Amino acid sequence: MSTHLPRQTTTPDGQPSTDADRRVAVRFSDVTHEYGSSGRGDDRTVTALRDVSFDVRAGEIVGLEGPSGSGKSTILHAVSGLLVPAEGSIELHGTDLTALSDAERTRLRRRHVGIVFQRFHLLPSLSARANVALPLVQAGVPRKTRRERAESLLEEVGLGDRITHLPGELSGGERQRVAIARALVTDPDVIVADEPTGELDTATGASVLELLTDIGRDRAMVVASHDDETLAVADRVVTLRDGRVVVNEG
Amino acid sequence: MRDDGSFDPDRTGTRRTRWRGLLGVSVVRLWRRATGTSSRRLVATVGAVALTIALLVVITGVALGLADGGTLDDDDADVRIEPEESESLSAVDGVEGTRLGSANERAATIADEDGVDHASPVLVEPVELESADGEDAKRVLLVGVVPDGEPRTVAGLPADELESGDAHYANGSYDGPRQDEIVLSSAAANALAAEDGDELSPSTAHVPEGLPSPSITVNAVEDAGDGDDETPVALVHLSELQTLSGADNGELADRVLVWSDDDADEAAVAASESAYPDAAVEPIDRTNPSALFGDSLAFATSLLALLVGVVICASFVATTAGMTVNEDRRTLAVLESVGYTTRSRLSIVAVSTLLTTLLGALVGVVLGIGGIYAVNAIAAATVAPGAVAAVHPIFVPYALVVALIAGLVATPYPLVVAARTSVLQEVGR
Repeated sequence: MSTHLPRQTTTPDGQPSTDADRRVAVRFSDVTHEYGSSGRGDDRTVTALRDVSFDVRAGEIVGLEGPSGSGKSTILHAVSGLLVPAEGSIELHGTDLTALSDAERTRLRRRHVGIVFQRFHLLPSLSARANVALPLVQAGVPRKTRRERAESLLEEVGLGDRITHLPGELSGGERQRVAIARALVTDPDVIVADEPTGELDTATGASVLELLTDIGRDRAMVVASHDDETLAVADRVVTLRDGRVVVNEG
Repeated sequence: MRDDGSFDPDRTGTRRTRWRGLLGVSVVRLWRRATGTSSRRLVATVGAVALTIALLVVITGVALGLADGGTLDDDDADVRIEPEESESLSAVDGVEGTRLGSANERAATIADEDGVDHASPVLVEPVELESADGEDAKRVLLVGVVPDGEPRTVAGLPADELESGDAHYANGSYDGPRQDEIVLSSAAANALAAEDGDELSPSTAHVPEGLPSPSITVNAVEDAGDGDDETPVALVHLSELQTLSGADNGELADRVLVWSDDDADEAAVAASESAYPDAAVEPIDRTNPSALFGDSLAFATSLLALLVGVVICASFVATTAGMTVNEDRRTLAVLESVGYTTRSRLSIVAVSTLLTTLLGALVGVVLGIGGIYAVNAIAAATVAPGAVAAVHPIFVPYALVVALIAGLVATPYPLVVAARTSVLQEVGR
């Protein structure tokens, strides 16, 4: 099974890049966010993030760890542009997500961010190929190109013989591979993964991790997990407590 | 931001392929649901729409059956020839409209053509008749025809109850032997208190000077074909009515009815147009939906069915589609997370809702047409002498358009439910 997804990172003069050359893919600057505020003043609010600042460079895998409610998922949603923090800025390759409209954030997400969920979130009535090709429909890619792209990615994640299967006909590990192929279909610069092995047994989780690290080799990847084995693949782990960054080290 | 060998969806994408793709996603999802195990909601929607549309089709069919012409228009001819500018028979209010000339001669010419079984001029005159015992005279619409002994219906009455032929005409001399026969509708018989074998005579005011008042024998009393028990009509031989009304001068008639041989309507039309190049020659479509507009009860019935159909259909669709979207929140959230715009997500919901409605409408049309046949079978076996509901091909597009309108009325509700979906709540679960 070939799980290697080649993606050469080079400098403008064609030489292989070094750490120093790598551009910042994601930059959090003093990000603060609260949940539960309705604006009526009498609701209790929960602060999910407080003054969070960190960078993720292209080709770098950053792990997010911390107990439930520490803000890991909020960071992933903010990187994806699914939520806009109350304060601070989030830059994706130099573009400040907080300054964009909803439609612009949606377009940026489709083009530059791939999301892998803990529970896969595949559409049950669509085949593996149609699930992988889903983001390309919105991009307006012709059907033939969509199919070719989806089939090639399914081949690469080792599911070349499951192309027409429905999610209900696939195992947990296979579903997560389909989800990973879907996250890659627009060739994004940033991958966010929320507990990608949380629903899988140890052996399946290990193979999915191997696939993720493979694809993360030349992209920026942010992985949130409670699992030490998952976090072990990260180049750097950011530890969160009560919405604050308490450790940020490689 | 991109490498040279990378895939750039924006480079190959177009708006048209996007909409085609969104339509494809909607159709595939519906199809998988319809054929999969989790199709109960879909079946409920399709079933509810189908039943509503079937009811609409049946009621409209009954209304069309009701509107199938008045008593005077109730004949079984295949082609009708009327003066071009004549919009209605003038007999009812006594104002004479344009009439066809040389009707007897030309009808005979038409009847001789290939493909034509029979042709008869029809003259309608209101005449006061009185019974032999001198009771009050009653006004009856006398309809003059040329019977040929075959079972034919004119003005809802059987023409073959009259002696075949029109002997009094005598090739235009109007001096042949008179038959002096009459076939009364039940309404006319009731008004005149007459029955089979009774003698009737026109009031003296109607009889031209110099002619003896004829004594007419009641040959038969029949219910007018569509059950009309209010219009007093009666059939007599054409030439005898023409003599009575003065229409013998010019052989006048209000219309000419032509019966064609089987499947030879076109030949009958051609023969009619040849004989009357300046008159309106109309092949008769007995279930013409435009008849609905001429009959207030039928029109009201079909309009009510339409309104009730749209309202009930829209309510069913809105409710079931709203529930379906509620179950589909996670799918909508996933679509948002992979970069679908709000417009695209709502389009998928709208397309799914409308397709489901149209699917239900198609099933409903089939059920409805089957229902009309069932109603006719039941009516024929119980209360009615013939069909009480009619089918017309236009019912199919009509039902689909009604369902589409109901779907459009219903769509905002599932769209609102869809628009309120919180992606963070759904994908965070």
